[in-house]
Amino acid sequence: MNKKQAISVSLIAIAASLLAGAILLLILGKDPIAAYTHLLQGSGLLPKAAYAAHRGMFTDFMKFLTAMAPMLLAALAFAVALRGGMFNISIAGQMLAAGFTASLFIGYSSLPALIARPLAVTLGLITGGAIGAFIGWLKHRFNVNEVVSSIMVNYSLMYGISFAINALCLDPVSRQSVRVGEAARLTLRNIPLGDYITDISLGILLALAAAALVHIYMTRSIAGFSARIAGLSPTAARYAGIDLCRHYTGTMAFSGALAGLAGVCYYMGYYASIQMKVMPSMGFDAIAVSLLGCNNPLGIIGASFLITILNKGSIYMSAMSGVDMEIASLIIGTMLIFSACTAYMGQKLYGKNKGKETAK
Amino acid sequence: MNKTENNSETIVEFRHITKRFPGIVANDDINLAVKKGEIFALLGENGAGKSVLMSILFGMYEAEEGEIYIRGKKEQIDSPIKAAALNIGMVHQHFKLVENFTIAENIIMGAEPMKKAAGLFPVVDIDYANEKIAALSKEYGLEVDPTARIDEVPVAVQQRAEILKMLYRDAEILIFDEPTAVLAPKEIEYLLDIIRRLRDGGKTIFLVTHKLKEIKAIADRCGIMRRGKLISVHSVADTDLQELANLMVGHKIELTLDKKPPAFGENILTVEHLTVTDRNKLPVVNDISLSIRAGEIYAIAGVSGNGQLEIADAVAGMITPTAGRITLQGQDITGCTVRRRTEAGIAYIPEDRQRVAVVMDMTLRDNMVLKSYYRPPFADGLFRDTAAADTYTAAALEKYDVRSGQDGDSIMRTLSGGNQQKAVIGRETDLDAALMIFVQPTRGVDIGAIMNIRRLMLDLRDKGKAILLISMELEEIMACADTIGVIYGGEIKKTAPREEWTIEKIGEYMMGLGERSKANE
Amino acid sequence: MMHIITDSLAFILPLLIMAIGGIFSEKSGVTNLALEGLQGFGAFAGAVAAALCTAHLAPGSAAPFYIALLAAVIGGAVFSLLHALLCIRFRADQVVSGVVINLFSLALTTCLAKSFNRIFSHTAQNRISLDIAPQLPGGFYTFELIIIALAGLCWFILYRTRFGLRLRACGDNPNAVDAAGLSVERIRYTAVIISGGLSGLAGICFAYSVTGCFSSAVYMGYGYLSIAALIFGNWTILPTLKACLLFGLAKYLGYELVKHLNMPSSYSDLVMILPYAVTLILLIFYSGSTRAPRALGEAFDKGKR
Repeated sequence: MNKKQAISVSLIAIAASLLAGAILLLILGKDPIAAYTHLLQGSGLLPKAAYAAHRGMFTDFMKFLTAMAPMLLAALAFAVALRGGMFNISIAGQMLAAGFTASLFIGYSSLPALIARPLAVTLGLITGGAIGAFIGWLKHRFNVNEVVSSIMVNYSLMYGISFAINALCLDPVSRQSVRVGEAARLTLRNIPLGDYITDISLGILLALAAAALVHIYMTRSIAGFSARIAGLSPTAARYAGIDLCRHYTGTMAFSGALAGLAGVCYYMGYYASIQMKVMPSMGFDAIAVSLLGCNNPLGIIGASFLITILNKGSIYMSAMSGVDMEIASLIIGTMLIFSACTAYMGQKLYGKNKGKETAK
Repeated sequence: MNKTENNSETIVEFRHITKRFPGIVANDDINLAVKKGEIFALLGENGAGKSVLMSILFGMYEAEEGEIYIRGKKEQIDSPIKAAALNIGMVHQHFKLVENFTIAENIIMGAEPMKKAAGLFPVVDIDYANEKIAALSKEYGLEVDPTARIDEVPVAVQQRAEILKMLYRDAEILIFDEPTAVLAPKEIEYLLDIIRRLRDGGKTIFLVTHKLKEIKAIADRCGIMRRGKLISVHSVADTDLQELANLMVGHKIELTLDKKPPAFGENILTVEHLTVTDRNKLPVVNDISLSIRAGEIYAIAGVSGNGQLEIADAVAGMITPTAGRITLQGQDITGCTVRRRTEAGIAYIPEDRQRVAVVMDMTLRDNMVLKSYYRPPFADGLFRDTAAADTYTAAALEKYDVRSGQDGDSIMRTLSGGNQQKAVIGRETDLDAALMIFVQPTRGVDIGAIMNIRRLMLDLRDKGKAILLISMELEEIMACADTIGVIYGGEIKKTAPREEWTIEKIGEYMMGLGERSKANE
Repeated sequence: MMHIITDSLAFILPLLIMAIGGIFSEKSGVTNLALEGLQGFGAFAGAVAAALCTAHLAPGSAAPFYIALLAAVIGGAVFSLLHALLCIRFRADQVVSGVVINLFSLALTTCLAKSFNRIFSHTAQNRISLDIAPQLPGGFYTFELIIIALAGLCWFILYRTRFGLRLRACGDNPNAVDAAGLSVERIRYTAVIISGGLSGLAGICFAYSVTGCFSSAVYMGYGYLSIAALIFGNWTILPTLKACLLFGLAKYLGYELVKHLNMPSSYSDLVMILPYAVTLILLIFYSGSTRAPRALGEAFDKGKR
C-alpha cells in the first residue's frame, strides 16, 4: 500500500465506525446528527447556542487542546514501539506513574514555575522511560511477552500508586490525590486574552514538538532505521549487526518516555489530580489513534484530533442529547476493530500491490 | 526394465492441463500418459512447472483447463483427500511433518484409526497405528521407530515417515518431489533401492528431480519440462545425459568450470577447538579446528544437521560458542559482536536468506545497505544519506544483474528467489571482506545462475579472498573447493586437499564411516 | 484455613478453564490475547440472561444461575468469532486483534449494560447485580465442579481424540494438516470458538464469585493472568493448573496476611498487586525455557509452501 491508499483505508475505517455509531444512536432513538453536532460543539469546533461570560468557542477549543496533548503523545508512544516491532500496552501505567511521581515531587513543591515545569517534564520522561526500558529489557533478556508483562506492570502500578496516594497525598473530600500547584501545571489557567478568559495548553506545544521529533526519527535517523529493521525481522537485525538488547530496551524507553510526558500533560495539565484505582483510558485509545494514523506522526496528529473530539465532546453530547458517554468509547472501539484489519482492506481495495512471489 | 505384464495399462493421463499464476503460465497445455508400474521422471529447472503439475495431480492446485484421467476415468481432483481416495500419494520437497509428534501420529493424521474408550468415547487408537506402521515398515524395508518424535530423528528417517504416510493410505501412484536433495550418497542409494522395490511391487512412481544421474539410474521414462511446457518424453535407456541436460535448459550449457591453480596466501581465518551447544546443552559442534588461507576455498561437506550451519553462525558471530577461539587476520574476534566482525572483514551468505539475510518487507534499496547504512557514505552523523544508498543500489543491481519490478523501490518479497540471492551475494561481495562465508549459495537457483555463482566464488578466491563454503551438494564442493573437511556429528572427521577426495570417499565420511583419522593433527 | 481454599478455588478454577481455552486456541496456532475481552463479554451475556429470567422464576431458584452459565458460554463463543474472523479471515495481526477486542468488549458491554438497565430496571447504572451462586456443603460452588469436569473433558479432547490431534498439528505445522486434506481454517475457527466459550464461562464465574455483579470491574486483567499461566504451563494443561494454583494462593494468602496483622484496609491495595507481581516474576523465570507452538501467530497461507 502506498501512502494515499493507507490514508483512504483509514478514512474508510473512520467513516464506517461513525456510521455504525449513527445506526446505534438511531436504534436508541436518538438523532445522530444532533449527537454528532454536540460532539463538535463540545470540542469547540462549532458554536454552542449560548456561552457564559468570557467563554466562547475559542475557550472551548483551547480546552480541547489541553485534552488533545496527552492523547497525541500517548499515540506517538505506541507508534514508536510498534515501529520497533513491539506493543507498548503499558502506556496507561507509564502515564499514571509519570503523573504520580511528577505530582509528588514537583507538583506539591513550592518551586517557581520556571523551574517546576521543566523538572516535572523531565521527571515524567524519566519515569515513563524507565518503565518502558524495564519491559523492553525483560523481553530481550528473558523472552517475556511484552503485552503480558505490560499488563502486569499496569495493574501493579495502579494498585501501588493508589496505595501511595492513600498514604501520602489523599484529598479526603474528593477521594483523589491533592491537586498540584498551578506553578507546576502544564496548562496556564484563566489567562485573559481579548474578551476571553482562557486556558492555554503548554502540553500541545510539547506534543507537536514530539511529533516532529518522531517524524525525523522514523524517516531520517540511523536509530529509527535500525529499529525498523529489528521490528520487521529480529533475525535479520542480528545478522545486520544491530544490538538487539539496545534495540528492545532503547525503543521501549523512548516509547515509555513519550508516554511519561503524556502522563504529565494529563495529570498535571488537563487534570490536576489523580483518581484512585483508575487507569487513564487514553493509554488504550492510543492504540486506535496510532493504527488509524497509519503509524505516521502526521496521521497520528489527525487521528488524535478525531479521537479527542469523541472523548472530549461526549461529555457535552451526553449532557445535551442524553446519550450515554459510553457511546463515544464504543465508536472508538469499532474504529479499533476496523483499524486492525486495514492491511486486509487495503489488499482487497487496491489489489495485490505487494505482489506475490512468483510461483514455483 | 519395464515390467512387461503392465506395459499397456495407462494409469494416469493428463490432457491439456493449463495452470496460470499471476504473471506466469506454470503449466501450458500438458499432455502426458503414464503407465502402471513404471517410474516416470519429470526433469526441469526450478520454475519449469514440474512441482505445479504434481501438485495438480495431488489436488493441491486445480488446473484452469484440461482434464485428468485416473485408470481411464475422468476425475476432478480438488483436494488431497480426493487424491488419497484415488490412491495418489506425495512426498513433498519440504516435508509436511509435525515436529513434536511421533512418526506414527504424523502418519495417521487425517486417517486416524479409532476405537471406543470405555466402550463409549471415540479415541485415536495409537497402539493399533504403531503396530500397523511397524508391519508396513518391515514389508517395504523402511526402517523407522513409530514412537520416535520427528524432531529427534534424522532427515532420512523423516523422509521414510513421509513415504510410509503414502503407503499407510494404500497409495498406488506415488509422487516424489526432489527426494534426494537432502540426502547423503549412501542414503540416496538406499532411497533409490526402495523406489525400485515399490515399482516392482506394482506401484506407479512419479519422480520430480533435476539430477540427471538419478534418472539414468532408476527411471523408465522421462519427461522434460521447460517454462511450463512439456518439451518431450524419452525412454531413459535410449537417451544420454548430455542430451537430457541440453533439452532441459533449452540451449547448450557449459557445465564445466574453469578453475585456476590455487595461490594460497597467509592464514585469514583460524578456528581452534570450537564447541557450540544447543538449548539442551548438547554439543552440536564439538571441538573443531580449521584454518583458511587467502586465496583458498575451504569446503565443509556433510549431511544437513551435523553442525556445519552452526560453524558458519559461530564464525559470523550469530551464535556464541561455549568454547574455542576464532582468529581473523591475527585478531582474536571470539568475543566480538556481529558488527565488529563485519568491520573486521567477514561477509556472510547464510543458508536461509529470506529469513536471515534480508528483510522481506523492506525495499531492495534498504536491503542493499543492510550492513552499512550506519556509516559513511550512507550516513552522516545521526542521519542516513538515502541519496547515497540510491546511487549505490542502482550501480549494484546493474553489476550483479538483479532484476526487479521497480528497481531499488521494489519490496524484497516481490523478487524471485534467484534475484534475492543475487542481491545478497552482491551486497556481501561489495563489503570487500577478507573472509566470505557461503552457505548453500546455489540452493533454489536455476542452472544458469548456479554456474555464475560458482564462477564468482572462484573469481573471489583468485583475488585472494578466503572462502568458507558449506554445501550439501557434493558436486559443487568437488568443483570449487581447494580443501575439503567432512563433518559428521559435530566433528570434522577428515580434512584434506581436494585432490585426495572422491565423491564416494566423502560419502563414507558423511555417514560417519571411514577411518578415524584426524587430519588437523 | 478452609475458607482460603474455598475462596481461592473460586478464583483459581475459572482462571484455569480460561487458560485451557487459551491453550486450545494457541495450540491451533492462533495467539489469543482476547481472553480478557471474551470473559468480560461472557460475564455480560450471563448476567443479562440471569437478570431476565430471575424475574420470571421463583426467588431462590438455582435455574437462573445455570441459564447464566449457558448464556455466558454461548456469548463468549459468539463474541470470539470476531477474533477468529479478524485473525483467520482478515489476517489481522493476532496480537493487535486480541488487544483491540479487549478494548472493544469493555466499551460494548458497559454501553449495553447501561442501555439494558434503562430498559429493564429503569436505572442508569452500568452494573447488573447477580444473586449468590449455588453452593455445595463445605462452601464450594457448584460451578467449581462443572469446571473440573470440563477441564478433564478438555484434556481428553486435546490429547486423545482425532480432533485434538489435528488441532495440535495445526499449531506446529499447518502445511502438514493441509497436505492431509484437512481444513486448517476450520480447525482454527473451532479452536478459537472453544476458547471463547470457556472464557465466557470463566467470566460469569468471576462475576458471581469475585464481583457479585456484572460491571466493568470484571475486566481485572484475569484474562492476561491466564495467558501468563498457560505460558508457564508450556501450553499443556496440568502444569498450567499449577501456575493457576500459585496465582490463587498468592492472592488469598495476601488477604489473610492483611487480616491477621490487623493492617488498615488501605493495605489491601498492596495485596492486590500480589498476583500480578508473582506473575511477572514467574514470567521472568519461565519465559526463556518454554516453547510456544511453532506456527503460533502466523496466518496460514495455503499458497505459500
